[in-house]
Amino acid sequence: MRYTESDLRTLLHEHGRERDGGEPAAPLDAIVRRGRRMRRTRRAATAGAAVAFTVAAFALGNGLLIGRSGADRTTVAARPTGSAQPARWPKLPDRFPVVLGAEKFDLRPIYTGRFETVGAGQRLTFTPTSYSTAIKVACDDPRAWVVVAMPLKGGETGGSAGRCGESVGGHHDRKSAPSGWLKRPQSIQVWVFPADAPIREVACRKMPEECDESVQGRALLRPEVRDQLSAMAGGQPGRWTAAIYDRAGKRPPLPDGGPLPDAGSPFASTSTPAG
Amino acid sequence: MDDGFAEYVAQRHLRLCRMAYLLARDWGTAEDLVQTALAKAWVAWRRIEGNPDPYVYRIIVNTHASWWRRRWRGEIPAETIPEAADPRDAAAEVADQVALWSAIGALSPRQRAVIVLHYYEGRTLTQVADIVGCSLGAVKTQLSRALGRLRVDPDIQTMTMERAQR
Repeated sequence: MRYTESDLRTLLHEHGRERDGGEPAAPLDAIVRRGRRMRRTRRAATAGAAVAFTVAAFALGNGLLIGRSGADRTTVAARPTGSAQPARWPKLPDRFPVVLGAEKFDLRPIYTGRFETVGAGQRLTFTPTSYSTAIKVACDDPRAWVVVAMPLKGGETGGSAGRCGESVGGHHDRKSAPSGWLKRPQSIQVWVFPADAPIREVACRKMPEECDESVQGRALLRPEVRDQLSAMAGGQPGRWTAAIYDRAGKRPPLPDGGPLPDAGSPFASTSTPAG
Repeated sequence: MDDGFAEYVAQRHLRLCRMAYLLARDWGTAEDLVQTALAKAWVAWRRIEGNPDPYVYRIIVNTHASWWRRRWRGEIPAETIPEAADPRDAAAEVADQVALWSAIGALSPRQRAVIVLHYYEGRTLTQVADIVGCSLGAVKTQLSRALGRLRVDPDIQTMTMERAQR
């Protein structure tokens, strides 16, 4: 059958009135609390970006004026965005085992960052202590998507993408680390997207039936896909932790639900929203 | 910081929840959508000039679109709308209503937003375009496609007339 506009209006008004359990109360307190949290997060993000800019400008200045010796001293510690509230955070192992032929050794964490929203990229800036530098990410939702992008030896950007519970990450060795790896602070970018991020809609419009997990993972390596997803799904709540491991690192506390270390670590690092 | 925010929430919360329910088709999600939108509005409250409704509606529509896939998975779009056996049968009328409601659920988030804002909220198409953030022509296109999928004929004025034709 066909319907009229009047039918449509009537139906919408009838359904709009229906509700089991009475009318919803207006939770003003909860709304204001949520608004304050949003404002704090935004201010922290803005402050983080300002810190990163200052660090970058200072490092550049050092490099130009006094050469590379100044660059290694340029370390500023800052809390990652969204780490203000005490809470339980996804745990990461305190070692990253590496097997290179007959050589086996463990990497130790030199930096940990905690985040409470997903959908936006984060740039983790740290000072490597060897060529064997690794990254690992843990999420509240192991089905969340993770993308890691890091500089490679040839100057290009490499990386990996997959579900958070599938150990997305990787490590450098002397052959893969970019030149100057130990001479200055380095950055790795990490994006965590919700498990149900509309990757298929964004990246597989032409052939959605062929858009399986591996295709979606590869699609996440494309910047334009990540940008669209960030615009659509950015800012959703979701806790995740990222750690940088290195061979000769001094161990800072790992995320276990306690507060993050503040400034003062010799491996001080920053995290800022990635562009 | 208040400046009428509490009053706005008290006055508009229920209506916003109803509108959000028609988009999300789940009361829990609707209340979450509204709470998210109002929290964002609280942050920007001093910068909002005039009626805050369009701003809040825009957040609800955009937030719903971003959450769409998560909710959409649980729904089964109706490819065909069941034909009623007898238009004078009360059970058939209920079936018609169910079929129409089901068809609304199968619309894309943007089309559903246009339908709800225009037919439930009574917004003009120009206002809908402002809220949804696209051109008037795009809204007309979305509306036309949505009505086509719902089998709503804007040229037919009443159910009685329509039924007399069958």
